[in-house]
Amino acid sequence: MYALRAHVDKMYDVGREAEKEGRPVAWVMLEPWSAAILSCMDVQTVFPENYGTICAASGAAATFLERSEAEGFPNHLCGYARNCLGYTAMMTEMGQIPPMAPGGGMPKPMLLVSSGAVCDARFKWFQALGRYFDAPIWVIEVTTSGPREALMEGAYEREVNFMVNELREFVTFLEKLLGKKMDWDKLEERRKQTRELNKVWWEVNHLTKAVPCPMHLRDFYSSMSAALYRSGHEAEEITRLYRGMYDEVKQRVDNKISAINYEEKYRIIFEGLPPWHSLGFFDQLAERGWNFVTERYYHPGRVAEVDLTGISDPIERYVRTRYQGLAKSIDETFEPEEAVKVKEEIMQKGFSQYIAARKVKDYKCDGAFLHTLLTCRGTTAPLRRIASHYLDVWKVPSITVEGDIVDLTLFDPADALRKAEAFEETMDHYKELRRKEGLGW
Amino acid sequence: MVEVASKGLSRVKEIYQDRPKRVKELKAEGKKVMGYICLYPVLEMMTALDFVPYRLFGDMREPITRADTYLPTVVCPFLRSLLDLGLKGKYDFLDGIVTSHICDVGAQIPDVWNTFVQTPYSHGIDTPHTTHQSSREREKGLLQDFQKSLEDYTGQKLTTEKLKQAIEIHNQQRALVRELYDLRKPDPPLISGVETIQVMKALMSLPVEEGNSLLREVISEVKGRKNGPPKKPARLLVWGSIIDDTALVEMIEGLEANVVMDDTCVGSRAYFPDVKLTKDPLEGLAYRYLVELKCPRTFKEASSNRNRKDYKADLESRFSYLRDYARDWKANGVILESVRYCDTHGYEVPGVTDYLNNIGLPNIYLEHDYSEGALAPLRTRVQGFLEITQ
Repeated sequence: MYALRAHVDKMYDVGREAEKEGRPVAWVMLEPWSAAILSCMDVQTVFPENYGTICAASGAAATFLERSEAEGFPNHLCGYARNCLGYTAMMTEMGQIPPMAPGGGMPKPMLLVSSGAVCDARFKWFQALGRYFDAPIWVIEVTTSGPREALMEGAYEREVNFMVNELREFVTFLEKLLGKKMDWDKLEERRKQTRELNKVWWEVNHLTKAVPCPMHLRDFYSSMSAALYRSGHEAEEITRLYRGMYDEVKQRVDNKISAINYEEKYRIIFEGLPPWHSLGFFDQLAERGWNFVTERYYHPGRVAEVDLTGISDPIERYVRTRYQGLAKSIDETFEPEEAVKVKEEIMQKGFSQYIAARKVKDYKCDGAFLHTLLTCRGTTAPLRRIASHYLDVWKVPSITVEGDIVDLTLFDPADALRKAEAFEETMDHYKELRRKEGLGW
Repeated sequence: MVEVASKGLSRVKEIYQDRPKRVKELKAEGKKVMGYICLYPVLEMMTALDFVPYRLFGDMREPITRADTYLPTVVCPFLRSLLDLGLKGKYDFLDGIVTSHICDVGAQIPDVWNTFVQTPYSHGIDTPHTTHQSSREREKGLLQDFQKSLEDYTGQKLTTEKLKQAIEIHNQQRALVRELYDLRKPDPPLISGVETIQVMKALMSLPVEEGNSLLREVISEVKGRKNGPPKKPARLLVWGSIIDDTALVEMIEGLEANVVMDDTCVGSRAYFPDVKLTKDPLEGLAYRYLVELKCPRTFKEASSNRNRKDYKADLESRFSYLRDYARDWKANGVILESVRYCDTHGYEVPGVTDYLNNIGLPNIYLEHDYSEGALAPLRTRVQGFLEITQ
């Protein structure tokens, strides 16, 4: 875990070195495409989203959040964004990395690569950075079709076509900006490396289905960054570390060793983004037997087999490897008969409860912890709907705790603990209900 | 056919105060009503298949009592209110709903609506975020999907001919709205900001031909009126997120100000760009709805030189139309407003402020939580702002 985190921490050192040496540095958003492409063109990538978590965890975020507000950005905007906007404003004013910046700070970029993946706030955030940097921005498009629209005939092929054309435009832009040609052989190499890395990382996380859960969500949060925030060329080393992690976690599964040093009384799914400033809160709940076994936002999806026969375009090969589409995702998740029913339900009603609720069944969850965030509507808006699916389909109740990813002042751990204690009775009640209804756990 | 007793601005007020009434009358006559949210669902395609496009709004005068079960309170109060009305059955007359990827919460509304409100038909257009070439092609492809979906629902073919006719009629409405907006240029304006919002909302509640007739009456009435808004020292442009109720503008115009122009989606953003008639009408529609609509939800930047960034040039490229509005409508101040938790406009505010400051236009930013009660404290701030502009 620490070796994995060290890879991510190194990103900032390497980034600052690149800037000093006049090599291109890009600030990048988390999405499936750009880091690999940029690494093929020798651009060093740095992830401000990850930096937000570091600032939150180290207590440095407050200064940057205050500065962001002083710059005129409303305080309900994304905590990662405000942390970055405040940091950038200070860096521009000082002409150097702010001295209080943890981890040595982020280097100044010559390029910003944003995306509409996950939420729209992300490209608005990078657009707002234009106030402080004369760095060109590219916004990588992704598809965010609704479920029914994603299942229309031919939808997946059209989505792939869109992504391929979008990424071709991106490469053309980069070639013009950097004055060099894309290395297509490297992209194919990245594709294979990324696929293998994601496969192993998925296998590690799949093990948390075991009872008792061998790896707590805190460990997941500590080790996930290497899979998400990387420059592209360290994939093989990171895969090796994840294989080691797999062996360790498997050994815990085989010996029924729980992730928490207490009896596993409640298996919990965490919904939303975590309180990076207060991860110790999970330990307080662990003392009560709460084992957080999974979450929705950062967990890798299952890496499906993809037939790339006859496809020679390296971008198309990359897109098809990284993006499966909804139909295939349903086929991978459900048994064939169930998959047909899920698709029919979507075409009829426009949604399927079973997709949303599947995770609580697979991971045998007793409760869902909904972390509603003042500053993140992308992850917070769907929470109540998802919670209703959990209850309706699998009789799994939810608790809502308000907080934030970066702003410590918005989270009240004492209040959250009080709520949690009361919630245990609710979980016990529904456990009994599930048992009576033969729902499996 | 129902006899309409009142005309012009009186008729507008009637519709504004009871929007569903007319559309329910049309339903009783056999018309179908298609609800839509925001500017990105393509109206022409609905009109071409004989739907009455009916824009969905919230109600800032109605307390939100049901939506909080399904949407957390830290999301846009306008969309919460809209959903709340749906859950209370206030939109039960809809034959369908069309949504698009307007913002992060807006992208969730279809799933919530389909789960808890339910209408006979729904379709979401996954409008891209940029105007890249690939995005324009994607937008056209999405409109082809929308066409197929509508045809499957109605059992009718959406022919090129029908679509071209619909484009022409909707473009006529846009031209009429621009003609109406020209009547805000004189000093004092011939029509107030409050009345303009009422007209806009009325138009968004009627079939397009009926809306065009009403608009012609309004324009004729306003041109000839002797009792228009009084002259006031401040002429304001209002920029920002949705204003679907007159309360905010009423508050402003109750002070020493006329609201002479807007850059909002129940206003110029909805009506100023036309659809260019192209051989394949979907090309023109895709271009207008993705590229021409001016809303911060679409990422645009100075495209003259992608290899470097120039902040001033970028601001000029994104916001110079505001300078043109201010010049043409002789605005001497700008109110930037946004509903609380609107991230799209929230990120935009410092950039717009920078631009307006660069061109010497006084401006103030107001955030409100989409309720009448929230406006009272803003009155003092607007008063203070007006003193500065004078």
